[in-house]
Amino acid sequence: MFSLALKNLLFYKGRTLTTFLLSLCSTVLFVVYVAFMDGSHESMLKNSLSIYTGAIQVMQEGHHENPSYDTLLEDLPSVMQTLKNIEGIRAYTPRLESFALLSSEEDSVGAMVTGIVPESEALVSRLKEALVKGRYLDSEDSNGLYMGEELAKRLGVDLGDEIALVGSATDYSFAAERFQIIGLFRTGLFEFDASSAFVNKAYFDALMLSETMASSIVVTVDDLEKAETVAGEIAGQMPSRVEVLTWKKLMASMVQAMEVDSLFGYISMGLFFIVVFFVIMIFGFINISGRIRELGLLRALGVHSYEILKLLLLESAILAFASVLAGTLIGAYLAYFYEVNPIIIKGMAETYKAYGIISDEVPTRFDLFTIAWNAMVVLLLNFLAILYPVYYIRQFTPTEAMRHV
Amino acid sequence: MVRLEHVHKYFNRDTQREVHALDDISLVIEDGEFTVITGTSGCGKTTLLNAIGALDSVDSGRITIGETEITQLDERERAALRLQDIGFVFQAYNLIPVLNVAENIGFIMRLQGYHHEAIEKRIREVAAILEIDHRLSAMPNELSGGQQQRVAVARAVAAKPGLVLADEPTANLDSKNSQRLMQMMKNLNEIEKTTILFASHDDYVVEMSRRQIILSDGHVEKM
Ligand SMILES: Nc1ncnc2c1ncn2[C@@H]1O[C@H](COP(=O)(O)OP(=O)(O)OP(=O)(O)O)[C@@H](O)[C@H]1O
Ligand SMILES: [Mg+2]
Repeated sequence: MFSLALKNLLFYKGRTLTTFLLSLCSTVLFVVYVAFMDGSHESMLKNSLSIYTGAIQVMQEGHHENPSYDTLLEDLPSVMQTLKNIEGIRAYTPRLESFALLSSEEDSVGAMVTGIVPESEALVSRLKEALVKGRYLDSEDSNGLYMGEELAKRLGVDLGDEIALVGSATDYSFAAERFQIIGLFRTGLFEFDASSAFVNKAYFDALMLSETMASSIVVTVDDLEKAETVAGEIAGQMPSRVEVLTWKKLMASMVQAMEVDSLFGYISMGLFFIVVFFVIMIFGFINISGRIRELGLLRALGVHSYEILKLLLLESAILAFASVLAGTLIGAYLAYFYEVNPIIIKGMAETYKAYGIISDEVPTRFDLFTIAWNAMVVLLLNFLAILYPVYYIRQFTPTEAMRHV
Repeated sequence: MVRLEHVHKYFNRDTQREVHALDDISLVIEDGEFTVITGTSGCGKTTLLNAIGALDSVDSGRITIGETEITQLDERERAALRLQDIGFVFQAYNLIPVLNVAENIGFIMRLQGYHHEAIEKRIREVAAILEIDHRLSAMPNELSGGQQQRVAVARAVAAKPGLVLADEPTANLDSKNSQRLMQMMKNLNEIEKTTILFASHDDYVVEMSRRQIILSDGHVEKM
């Protein structure tokens, strides 16, 4: 049967070639497309995470939904001590966020002013690298302010200018201080750059009365895929009212946006597959209807119709496996190749800078599991496409089939 | 031995186009016969052959081949019977287009599970009798009509079935080739004792057969 199936495939070259090529191209396209899609999502995410958010944040319960001074981490030193001993953590740093009014001579703007520990902050975020003018903070700084470039523009100030901060301390008492701009940064996240300023936490704590407190502790991990595990580990060792959130929760809106984007990607691939499905089916149908007499002859000679069914499925299986295998290899190779040597599109960083993309490389993700299920989809498609033609010829008796013209 | 008892077959029964193709046919064909079923076009020869060959079911009556009552068999059993016990030469369209001559001749034996060498040996044997041994590697569409017909006969007899049914084997042949083919089949009948039943209105076939069954409008006119 197997050799007869092979001979049929060789004999009916037109159908074999078209089906093979079509299914091969779909596989390649699908694998590469998904690799690009996942790759760009992953890189957007990693970018955003590495700019500021980090993989995990440790907070007091309720702080994420409703950030306020009532939900600050109280016992910062002991929490920090606990983190020291957990495996899989790369770095961590505490932040104290405070919403305050910044006033220059020209203008007043509400902004998020955050006290950071300059050295450890540099290990978890890209604030330091985002410097465009002046210098980054250091642990000796007192009233130096490290400010988003866009925020400085809104205030009409520049490096060296003085700014007045008016806000409230963590006990809700009045807090005011003059700061000098020592550095400007640009992360590429426009919103962020237009509303953030940073201060040395040691100095800020004195002003805000928050020495042992933090809004959150930002944690980065060695392997982003294992963030959940590490988070679980942390949660297990924290006091009960402390919450440990991973990037999935922290970036919920971005994750969601990507899921929507993927969905659209899959829908357009789906439409493409519907076309592929019908083309494969039509070719299978033309092929099999042209062979009604031949198949009738086989049955007349005593081949059971069940065997004929096996024969036809075998033919399409050989085709499907060969083409999907070849397509998967080619697609996987391309995905791998482009992951290692990304395609460069000039100006892409400009277009996507709102997502924090900072290079012109098109990111590609090489992932065997994804490739495997992509291949399965095309394989399944091939099988479904043969069902109708097979069903169609089964309605003929051998003698009818042989009389068929 | 093939036995038919009161066999009836209709096409498009209970419609305006109803045809009573086999009308109360009873006959016996003994082992080793070389017999032709003849009669005018449309008298029911092919229908009768298909009924005997377990290709088509009949509406009433009984057909037995040897000990087996084929009118009682289901589709699967009939397929198995065709494969194991009957050789077919059809009126038209006989060869599997994707297989070459040798593979076509050996096809049935292969399905029956014969050993490769046994098949090869038998292919050469029947090909020699039917004088197609020089075209064994040709594809069916590269053969003349007469050659195709001889390959079909070779395939039908290769597995040494108890019964060979040949429907108009000479239909596409000139008189000389018809005579040759008939002579070869007669040799096979004599050498290998194969029971051969023809359906034909070709004079050569009728002349060379040892027994004639004449059909007319679905019933046996003369045996
Ligand atoms: N599948 C069918 N559907 C309807 N009628 C049929 C069918 N097959 C045969 N018939 C009718 O049954 C009758 C017998 O046909 P059959 O093919 O047996 O004739 P035949 O003797 O073999 O003729 P020929 O010598 O032309 O081959 C004819 O009247 C034919 O029209
Ligand atoms: Mg006929």
